Amino acid sequence: MNTNTASYKCKQYMMFAGVTTVVFAAVVIVPFLYGLYLTFTSWDGVSKSKPFVALANYAATFADSAYWQALGRTVIYSVIAVILVNVVAFILAFLVTSGVKGQNFFRAGFFIPNLIGGIVLGYIWKFVFNRAFVALGESLSVGALSTSWLSTTNGAMLCLIIVSVWQYAGYMMLIYVAGFMSVSADVLEAAKIDGCTNLQTIWNISVPLMVSSFVQCLFLTITRCFMVYDVNLSLTKGEPFNSSVMAAMHVYNQAFTYKNYGTGQAEALILFVVCAVVGVLQVYVGKKAEVSA
Amino acid sequence: MKKKLLATMLVTAMAVSATACGGGGSDAPASSDGEGGGSSGGSGTAITIFNSKSEIQDQFVQMAEKYSAEKGVDVEVYYSNDTVAAHLATRYSANDPYTLSMVDAKDIYSLGPEHAIDLSDQEWVQNTDYAISVDGKVMGFPVCIEARGLMYNATAIEAITGEEFKPEDYATVDAFQGLLDKLVAGGMETPTGIMKEDWSLAGHFLSETYEEQPDVEAYITQLHEGTADLINNEKFNAKMDYFDTMMKYNFAAGSAIATEREVAEQKLAEGEIAFMFGGNWDWSMLSAYDYSEKMGMMAVPQNTSDGTNAKMEGGGSKYFFIDSSESTSEEQRQAAKDFLNWLVLDEEGNKFLTEDCNLVPAYSNISAEALDPLSTSVKTFADAGNLIPNYDYLPDDHYSICGASMQKYLAGQIDRAGLATEIENYWKSTAPVEH
Repeated sequence: MNTNTASYKCKQYMMFAGVTTVVFAAVVIVPFLYGLYLTFTSWDGVSKSKPFVALANYAATFADSAYWQALGRTVIYSVIAVILVNVVAFILAFLVTSGVKGQNFFRAGFFIPNLIGGIVLGYIWKFVFNRAFVALGESLSVGALSTSWLSTTNGAMLCLIIVSVWQYAGYMMLIYVAGFMSVSADVLEAAKIDGCTNLQTIWNISVPLMVSSFVQCLFLTITRCFMVYDVNLSLTKGEPFNSSVMAAMHVYNQAFTYKNYGTGQAEALILFVVCAVVGVLQVYVGKKAEVSA
Repeated sequence: MKKKLLATMLVTAMAVSATACGGGGSDAPASSDGEGGGSSGGSGTAITIFNSKSEIQDQFVQMAEKYSAEKGVDVEVYYSNDTVAAHLATRYSANDPYTLSMVDAKDIYSLGPEHAIDLSDQEWVQNTDYAISVDGKVMGFPVCIEARGLMYNATAIEAITGEEFKPEDYATVDAFQGLLDKLVAGGMETPTGIMKEDWSLAGHFLSETYEEQPDVEAYITQLHEGTADLINNEKFNAKMDYFDTMMKYNFAAGSAIATEREVAEQKLAEGEIAFMFGGNWDWSMLSAYDYSEKMGMMAVPQNTSDGTNAKMEGGGSKYFFIDSSESTSEEQRQAAKDFLNWLVLDEEGNKFLTEDCNLVPAYSNISAEALDPLSTSVKTFADAGNLIPNYDYLPDDHYSICGASMQKYLAGQIDRAGLATEIENYWKSTAPVEH
């Protein structure tokens, strides 16, 4: 049988990936292109007509200072949150693979926050920041705790970061745990015999051998932080005075609350591009750093 | 062999799930018609109603069941806590609009011309002053009257002062402040509360500074053109003087913008505080707590002589419109019209509005005896002609952006001049909804 004809290849493709391609196109590609088309219209979301306005939405996007502030805020939030999530996750992963008693229990425990939905989690933490911390601060007369952190500009950002770290650290920990487990015992033993301290072993042996875990974790955390919406909505709702509105929330407000669907869509597209560039760049750099044992 | 079988099974499963998805999509409008048909048994006309007032959803569903059984028309009631326009947008893009949609006044102006039918010939139009017309056609059916003002807990006040609380005695900020001082001296250390939500601060309170202007339209034009000079505006200052007083006695003065609405409402209901700005919809929250016997709403106190300190702001709130698209049949539209007439002209319908839902009727032929305390106050004001009409044409982002400015003021981050500048800057960059 000749397996090198176009029709054979096409059949093979259709058989193995045809259905997936159709579904992928239907739920990702087509909506994406349709969204792209909407950025050139001044649709309000409900109207039957979608007047063509060329690049007016992009002009509006560039003139929308609140959007760029939100985007800048998102970058700051993402940088801090990504670093903290990964540092905490790495440390946790190290601790729960070091052979402490009941480490499976700890693994499950640290992972659980990730199973709670972002909305619920936001409300839980809102209660903690607004009531529990304040009550604690008042009874112990600790000044920094006696007013709600959520009521100050920097405090609200700090709260968002804390909650994100709490939410994602457990998930990333699992990936790092897999990374730690994949480092073969032989090399670790060899390093020990060569006189490496524990810290040196981690830094010089484990870390280089688990770069792929870092690449994955960074990619996941970066994209999630850039797209954060649910926690943002339930924890701060953009308050105080719209100072904690992240890019995704601004896009939502622009499109649905302020009824500028086209502008919102254009802003979403820019957010997507920023996110994609950062994500791809990070994966590319990360892949280069990978070594094989 | 086994592997081949497994692969075949997987492929089949995938194919089935894919076709199932596709099929579901094209069936959607038909199945929603069918949904209505399920509980009927009558003539088969089915209408869908979108309710956007969460506090009456249960009553609405019960009424729909009863109505369906009695009239032979299937009524399905839906609720969503999404923004009204955003929710309707999804239904319209799915080509599956509701027969009747309950929306806010400004949505009638934006949706009406394209999506609503003309209701000018309906009987109920004669009975109300609050219907909304667009381009000379009545399109919005007012569901109820709602008003904004100062909510008070008279039981708590009287317990301290020892005399009957008469709201009209405290129409000026000076008199109001005197009362607050008295309350403080009597042991209620912080007699006021302020909701920090942007829709309350800007959507409900700040907008009163527009609505009370002698000529609202001219004033909004001035704001838009940048010639309003807010900081020297008499109404703006009169309102802000009141707001300052509320801030001074606020129970959460140190953390005003972290106050949760539930906490503030509970304090008011239980008499820990005596005053808070709000509207009669707040009763659905107040009544969830152990509320005091004598409560009500009064006009916002102001040092002014223009008479606005004896009036509340309000009018028709929430409007029904009937869908005009091809997805809705003539029978459905007729059934929807019948339903609206039933609400206004049938005793059962009246009972549903005023007793089950506790709404202040917007129709002169409906009497309402058993309203909640806040709505009773609103009805008294409405009947006496003491409601200043809502300005329904604020831009959609007004409450959010000016709300942020009001929150800054509430938090002490900007002073009155700073607030005035921020509001002026906002208006220069936007324009009111066309009407």
